[in-house]
Amino acid sequence: MNIVTISVVKVRDVLLVTVPPEPDDSTISQLQENILLAMERHDPKGLILDISTVETLDSYFARTIVETSEMVALMGGRTIIAGMQPNVAITVTQLGLTMGNAKSALDVDRALDMLEVG
Amino acid sequence: MSDNQQGEVRIDSEVDIVTVRKAVREIAQQIGFGATDITRIVTSASELARNVFNYAGVGAMHWNRLKQNGSIGIELIFIDNGPGIPDIEQALTPGYSTMKSLGMGLSGAKRLMGEMEIESAPGKVTKVKIRKWIGRY
Repeated sequence: MNIVTISVVKVRDVLLVTVPPEPDDSTISQLQENILLAMERHDPKGLILDISTVETLDSYFARTIVETSEMVALMGGRTIIAGMQPNVAITVTQLGLTMGNAKSALDVDRALDMLEVG
Repeated sequence: MSDNQQGEVRIDSEVDIVTVRKAVREIAQQIGFGATDITRIVTSASELARNVFNYAGVGAMHWNRLKQNGSIGIELIFIDNGPGIPDIEQALTPGYSTMKSLGMGLSGAKRLMGEMEIESAPGKVTKVKIRKWIGRY
């Protein structure tokens, strides 16, 4: 297994995660754990998942995003999914997936605005 | 694999789900699909490759370039020797899953691709075949 390390960065009062284009399942599940640990450590207002380079968002990935946003909510934070590509938005919708309670933003800038940390 | 008309990708581990996605993206690009169709095809392949890995552990994906009556397209066949699908109709119901998953993979892949054929019975080889043609919806 070569797990790609994805960094969870604290910017202002939020966690910012840039997801790589084609993460495998173990990378995604490792990321979930890293995010929750960073939530505990930094106590931020919320989480921004920058998925602007993600080319394939399938049901496993979607489920993990929804789960993570629920876990982040339990810890008192909000999750914003930023920068979904048009092709990915079309495919996710036609696949029948929903993003649960996670909110979306066109890009990271707007996500920062939504979390009022601009 | 550049000019080949067909090929195979082994699915032996979870990482091979990504191997399948990358191979399918390359083939679909070479065939000439548009960006949105490529995303639809790759996402469908990802769902079906994950099913092979989750239910059978190992298997393979065969791919074929299609040419028929002036149309060109892609065919992907996912093959495994897993437990098989006891009730295909039920398996195609959105939200139905015997695993801890969303149950959207099979039904979603059918919707994204347009054409899907499933051959399966308990104890027999499972084959899930999907096809997409350029410009046909």
